[in-house]
Amino acid sequence: MTSALDALPVTQMPPDGHYGPAGKHGVTARIFDPPALATLAARHGAGAALSAAARVELGLDLADAPRLSRANGLTAIGTGPGRWFLLAEAPEDLPAHLAALAPHAAITEQTDAMVGFELSGPHVRDLLAKGVTVDLDPSVFPPGAAATSNVAHINTSFWREPGDERFVFLAGRSYAVAFARFLVASGAAFGLELVHRG
Amino acid sequence: MRIPCPYCGARDASEFAYLGDATLTRPDPAAPDAADAFHDYVYLRDNPAGAHSEWWYHSGGCRRWLKVTRDTTSHAIAGAELAGGAK
Repeated sequence: MTSALDALPVTQMPPDGHYGPAGKHGVTARIFDPPALATLAARHGAGAALSAAARVELGLDLADAPRLSRANGLTAIGTGPGRWFLLAEAPEDLPAHLAALAPHAAITEQTDAMVGFELSGPHVRDLLAKGVTVDLDPSVFPPGAAATSNVAHINTSFWREPGDERFVFLAGRSYAVAFARFLVASGAAFGLELVHRG
Repeated sequence: MRIPCPYCGARDASEFAYLGDATLTRPDPAAPDAADAFHDYVYLRDNPAGAHSEWWYHSGGCRRWLKVTRDTTSHAIAGAELAGGAK
């Protein structure tokens, strides 16, 4: 079977557009650069102090679990015991914003390190079933659930957004093309709309 | 084979790297018999048929070491805990 990917160099991001049978709109994938991103790693034995500081200084409830917590324009995603990704909704100096947490955690600016993929549409879980080994049924992966796992041999952190069925994946920047090719290869059968969001 | 990571949940073994026997204790390098003790520590391993305690690194998930109890004859996993305990 021929695919739109056959003619595309593996180093080149697949262009925006519709992939798959005309008239089928099963999945929409929006590729975006997170406006601001940092990692947060609790210092040894400082987990409780970090949670308390995050609550007082940022109003953020840092769950030490693979879950999303969000408050005041900040989103925290649990990636490991005592470790989180922190994302801001608007471009900003995130380490400066988080400075109050510095006594309790190592904070590392990572804004350019990851590329985001926001997936939605009626067939989003059919697409993801071809690469994700985590059960995404809402009964076990409800809104706000997060996971770090290998998807199509690419390490990603992802979560289900609260509200409508929408998943966001973060992949290392140098893997973004490979991840986009996985989405096209796995999603075209359902009709995939690929768009870049500024 | 799926390994029940205490943080991530049950995950496919392909996300993990295997280190080996978790029942060994590193000998004291200052002890007078350190050379012999290290020889045994590095080279002499039991090869149990049945329950075994072993280290697995969750490289594809939470990046933590796990101590996993696995039956070497059936691959049935009786439990897994974070190495060094929870932080």
